[in-house]
Amino acid sequence: MTFRTLPAAISRWLTEPVPRGRIAAFRTLVYLFVAADLVIFTPWVRHKTSISGELYQPLLVGRLLPLPTPNPVLVEVIFWVLLVLSLAAATGRAPRALGWPVFLLYFEWMIIAMSYGKVDHDRFAFLVALAVLPTAGRARHGDGVRTEAGGWALRVTQIAVVCTYFLAAWAKFRFGGIEWLTSSVLARAIIRRGTELADLIAQVPYLLIAAQFGIIAFELLSPLIFVVSARWRRAVVAFFYSFHLVTFATITISFAPHLVAMTSFLELERLRPVDRLVRWRARRSGGAVGSDRPATPRPGPELAGVAGGSAPTPPPEAPDAPPVQPSPAVP
Amino acid sequence: MDALTRRGRTLRVGITAVVGAVLLAGTLWGQDDHFPFGPFRMYAGSNPPNDPAPDTRVEAVDRTGAVIPLNQDNTGIRRAEIEGQQSRYAADPALLRQVADAYADRHPGSPELVEVRIVVRWYGVRDGRPTGTFVDETTVSWRAS
Repeated sequence: MTFRTLPAAISRWLTEPVPRGRIAAFRTLVYLFVAADLVIFTPWVRHKTSISGELYQPLLVGRLLPLPTPNPVLVEVIFWVLLVLSLAAATGRAPRALGWPVFLLYFEWMIIAMSYGKVDHDRFAFLVALAVLPTAGRARHGDGVRTEAGGWALRVTQIAVVCTYFLAAWAKFRFGGIEWLTSSVLARAIIRRGTELADLIAQVPYLLIAAQFGIIAFELLSPLIFVVSARWRRAVVAFFYSFHLVTFATITISFAPHLVAMTSFLELERLRPVDRLVRWRARRSGGAVGSDRPATPRPGPELAGVAGGSAPTPPPEAPDAPPVQPSPAVP
Repeated sequence: MDALTRRGRTLRVGITAVVGAVLLAGTLWGQDDHFPFGPFRMYAGSNPPNDPAPDTRVEAVDRTGAVIPLNQDNTGIRRAEIEGQQSRYAADPALLRQVADAYADRHPGSPELVEVRIVVRWYGVRDGRPTGTFVDETTVSWRAS
């Protein structure tokens, strides 16, 4: 590859097309998580209504804009509007008209959350996903037609996921120095919020130190996910998820929004849970199947490679292989 | 296939480069204040293998004398937020009244809190492993007058 073709190759890689059905599924998942985050994962943000404005220490973005000091009315209005809009956006309808307000309101919700003395680092990739989903265009579940706009949305979310790991290693060297590797950082984390499992692990000599070397190695090597084969990519994503499973099992940190963003690496269009349920119920009742569509898009050129794959660009759609008919907003 | 226009593609590539550069700058020179572009500094600190580890808690005494642990569930204030503003509380202990008020707001029928304190439990650590020993230190305390 020459220097002249490199920018074009990067541009193609950034906008590598994906099936619209994948965008529809990712969109539904991301917006449903916004609603779940409001009521299940971070309900404490809403509790900021009890706290005096004196404890509000706005972040730079809050000071620049400038955003108002949270009060009960503001917090309640954002909560309810965001809840309703995110559930509406999860249907996949009006991706821009609903997607942009959801992004802006969730961003403001996060600024409120992070402006009382503690900033969380588990949602950069999720914020990126919310910022780019409105640009991905209309997409229906099961639609196999490929989209470059959607491909870019997933690709930059994937990059943000990997940056969260790779740049975390960088931050460790910046703030902790090379001695981070042999420090007592994991012991401290376990003391502060360790589970019984973590207490057991902590007793094994040098295991926590070895784990610290492992964490740095994994974070520094995480960008390799973009160059490995599709099969290995699945294994790497599984490893990423297993890392967070262990983290949750030991120090109860879930990184939930990051885990949702990480589904951008997966062939989500193959899941079709509602479609499968409808077909299963139809089969059980012995009646006619409600749809003669396959549960997953027909394997074809447009599905070559896994999400974010580096497979060669497939040929244009053949006229004799039409895309699967989309179902109206049914995952 | 839905292909991007030349303008759409250029715009997206440009946005990717700019946001990536800002994120990189945040990692190199930024602080938490620059959210969402600040450094991913979760657990990035470094402590010698034998340094004691702090485990901070906030507790209150109500007018019946009962000691009540204050946390995210009953005040809406996370422990890490108390730690993040600890220097403010140390400089002005009366700020702990806000924590008591947050509790009272969520528990209108409960006895009034007359004291709030930040207590740090220092756990012993040796060779990067907890020793199981600890000492408590009250770092900030506020009493209702």
